[in-house]
Amino acid sequence: MGIPVWLEAVIAILLLLGALVAALGSLGLARMPDFYMRLHGPTKASTLGVGCTLLGSLLYFSVSGEGFSVQEVLITLFLFVTAPVSAHMMARAALHRRVQAVAKTTQPPRELGRGERNK
Amino acid sequence: MALLLIVLLPVLGALFTGAFAGNNARLNSLIAMLAPLVSLALALSLLPAILQGELVLAHWQWLPRLDLALSLRMDGLAMLFALLIIAMGLLVLLYGHFYFSGKPKDNQRFNGLLLLFMTAMLGIVTSENLLLMLVFWEMTSLVSFLLIGFKADQRAARRGARMTLVITGGGGLALLAGMVLIGQIIGSYQLSDVLASGDQIRQHSHYPLILLLVLLGAMTKSAQFPFHFWLPHAMTAPTPVSAYLHSATMVKAGIFLLARFHPVLAETDLWLYSVSTVGMATLLTGAFVAMFKHDIKGLLAYSTISHLGLITLLLGMGTRMGLIVGLFHLLNHAMFKAPLFMMAGIVEKATGSRDMQLINGLWRYMPYLMVLTGICAAAMAGLPLLNGFLSKKMFFAETLQSPFTGVLGWLTPTLAAVAGLLSVAYSVRIFHNVFFNGLPRDLPVFPPRPPARGILIPVTVLTLACIVVGLVPQYVVHTLLQQAAHAALGAPLPAYNLGLLHRFNLPFLMSALALTGGLVMYLYRRQLFAIYDRMPEVDAKENFEWLMLRAGNFAERQVHRLENGSLQRYGALLVATCLVLAGSALTGLTTWGGGVTTPADPVTVLAAVILMAAAVAAVVIHRQRLLALLLIGTCGLFVTLLFARFSAPDLALTQLSVEVMAVIIMMLALSFLPQTSPRESSSLRRLRDLILAVATGSGVAVLAYTVMTRPAQSISGFFLDNSLTGGGGSNVVNVILVDFRGFDTLGEITVLAIAAMAVFALTRNLQLKERVTRESGSYWASEPHPVILRMIARPVLPVALMVAGYIFLRGHNLPGGGFIAGLVASVALSLQYMAGGLVWAHQRMLTAFRPLIGAGLLLALATGLGSLAFGAPFLSSWFNHYHLPLLGEVELATALLFDLGVFMTVVGATLLILANLGNLMTLDGPGKEIG
Repeated sequence: MGIPVWLEAVIAILLLLGALVAALGSLGLARMPDFYMRLHGPTKASTLGVGCTLLGSLLYFSVSGEGFSVQEVLITLFLFVTAPVSAHMMARAALHRRVQAVAKTTQPPRELGRGERNK
Repeated sequence: MALLLIVLLPVLGALFTGAFAGNNARLNSLIAMLAPLVSLALALSLLPAILQGELVLAHWQWLPRLDLALSLRMDGLAMLFALLIIAMGLLVLLYGHFYFSGKPKDNQRFNGLLLLFMTAMLGIVTSENLLLMLVFWEMTSLVSFLLIGFKADQRAARRGARMTLVITGGGGLALLAGMVLIGQIIGSYQLSDVLASGDQIRQHSHYPLILLLVLLGAMTKSAQFPFHFWLPHAMTAPTPVSAYLHSATMVKAGIFLLARFHPVLAETDLWLYSVSTVGMATLLTGAFVAMFKHDIKGLLAYSTISHLGLITLLLGMGTRMGLIVGLFHLLNHAMFKAPLFMMAGIVEKATGSRDMQLINGLWRYMPYLMVLTGICAAAMAGLPLLNGFLSKKMFFAETLQSPFTGVLGWLTPTLAAVAGLLSVAYSVRIFHNVFFNGLPRDLPVFPPRPPARGILIPVTVLTLACIVVGLVPQYVVHTLLQQAAHAALGAPLPAYNLGLLHRFNLPFLMSALALTGGLVMYLYRRQLFAIYDRMPEVDAKENFEWLMLRAGNFAERQVHRLENGSLQRYGALLVATCLVLAGSALTGLTTWGGGVTTPADPVTVLAAVILMAAAVAAVVIHRQRLLALLLIGTCGLFVTLLFARFSAPDLALTQLSVEVMAVIIMMLALSFLPQTSPRESSSLRRLRDLILAVATGSGVAVLAYTVMTRPAQSISGFFLDNSLTGGGGSNVVNVILVDFRGFDTLGEITVLAIAAMAVFALTRNLQLKERVTRESGSYWASEPHPVILRMIARPVLPVALMVAGYIFLRGHNLPGGGFIAGLVASVALSLQYMAGGLVWAHQRMLTAFRPLIGAGLLLALATGLGSLAFGAPFLSSWFNHYHLPLLGEVELATALLFDLGVFMTVVGATLLILANLGNLMTLDGPGKEIG
């Protein structure tokens, strides 16, 4: 049961990329200054990072195992559907609770800010 | 079988009246009377054999290890009482039909309870097993509680009922102790064995104790001094109930007991003095007080007490003749007292009052009732040619031949004559005062309403019985009485002739003296009333209530010492108990067992470390509730991972879905609490908790380590071998859940259902103050249910439900099952709640959660019981393989049905909790209740 070397290389790159994104996401979660920015880290990690890993897994098991591996596709699908929604909900919750953002990024909401801009 | 039917038919009748008759009073009473009629016919069919002196026994096993058997016995004594109970019951049912006319609901309830009571009484008199007798004995106490408290909206009725229950129920407990002692001495609870070993018991050192306990039971039930006070207070019962319970049946149960245990306990000095003293005291107290009661039923109650005392005195004197006279008088008393009670009820209905100071001169309005009452009162007074005369005269004759000597020898007949005199006085009073004595005064209902014609039928029947028995006793009751006395004595009877009793002799003279004395006393009643009114009043009810209150408070205080409502304390006690019990078992541990065989890989170690860190962190920051909850959730997720790591996919799946559900529900609950919990416990207490927690945690660790490292014979091999062959599934975990340990699962889902119901009950009327209003923060995110989540949640639901269905169906052979599927479905549905809100979700789904839970439990139970029908043990599963077109090989197993029950219960319980907690969250507080 051999896997072509180039395919192995692709899989390895995908896995490394996934791990890298996950690590960056975690780093972002730890280092970003406010909640809204921190939210970006895990979101990217759970979509792009996990997505890369799953793609690698999909390739590997589809070639080495018993035909096309469906699970990874399903997991990816569900992840891509749910992760943005949960991030969105968290952002809304933070807004609802008026979590403070770093001063640099603060901007009034558009509708209310319009008068301000016109000044 | 006939015996069992005699006893059980009334209760069946009660079920039928409840089930079919509905609001039709006539049909209801008809059904209610049919059952005792059949019972009566069956009893009469046994009568010839009993009169021949035969003994009919029937025996079924019930709880053999407790010596509790369903064995019944019909002998002369039982027959006498059984006929009395059934016949009186029929007449009272007929009377009750007219008494409750216009109130079909009351009538139905009365019929049902009376029939239930009839079964209980019949059970007492026909029991062959002592423990069975006690079961029926307590049943009479309980049903009489319901009957006396019939008008539950009246305070007096409730208090009277409670007093009766406490006194007679307490007596029943004493009796239980006595019976157990007897059973232990003899080694058998069968009455035949007990009756045959009277000498053994009388010579036993425990005899005085046994006698005391049995007498306590009998005396409380038969309202003997000093326990007599409950009977007058039980008069708050509707009159038919008094006529049945307090003249004919329940109060005679104690007498029956004395007669039944006569061969075992009687004929000792202790019996002689204790029983006859109590009897004499009761006789005199009752007769004396009765005269001064202005309430008709109060007078009758005290007169009943006195007559019961008379019978007790007769039984206490222990002569053989005395027993016969006692039973004879018991019969006569039922015949003349029941119609007098019925009269009281009729008069009350007609005039709206029972006060004899108001009710006078009713002869104008109810001449026929006057005649009947006159006859019955005359029988009670002991006028010649009536049944009461005979038994009273025989009673006088017995007191003259009493086993007492010296002063007691002549004191007994003198006191008996005094009691006779008093009884004449109150008999005259109840007749003359009600029907003559001038004109009615200030009656609530005037002119009195004439009674319905039918209500007089039972009164007439009983009055005629008084006359017939009085005229020709030797033909009517003699043989039965003889057999009854024979059965009670267990020895040959002395010769006597009831027919000769009308002759003139010394007892006749006593009767005559009592008669004239009583009349004189009645004539001077006004002076006597004046004297009585000046006597200090002892209100038994107030004293009793005071005592009960004190006892209740005392008990409450004692309970509060241990059980002070602090959840922390209960938790600490529970944990400490576990620690002590398991710790003491662990002290026997000498070696640590074998080494660890599974090498630890870095990933597992890392997961374990994170798990531990999360747990410790949760403890440290437990004041920040939300964070602590999240950390607990982390622990749960890591446990899930560990399950998956060690090849337990079922557990992992369950843990995962439980964790999700638990966190959601806990978050809901937490939202009612402040974000941080205040510091309330003292440092000493925290130290205690710390020590407890550390000790328990290390104990569990030690336990787990030692169990897992020693080569033990485990049961898992059996499960692995038998799962497919015995349970029909290759998923061993699921087969264990639904088959091998199905009973556990049934218990667990029951607990789950109870917990959900508790949440429902707690939150149903809960009004929470000051919910946070929606306005705060709406500046940024005003939409309560964001559209993205709402839109995503909709397509997720069918997919998730499909997953649940898939997990459910494959559960028997692959990881999955009803529990996990139920949780997955609940999670999917709770997402709808979160996305769309409570109102939105409820417009779109069925919310009959409680019926769902009930149906789930019933389905699981029915599946389990179904296996009994095929002769297999409870909860065995049945399975077979079918070949269906298109689908191929399909396995059908009853386990799937059981699993469906689990599924329904889980879904219903989680959603019931969620929806009701969520309901509290809504701004307007509890709206319509959910589920």
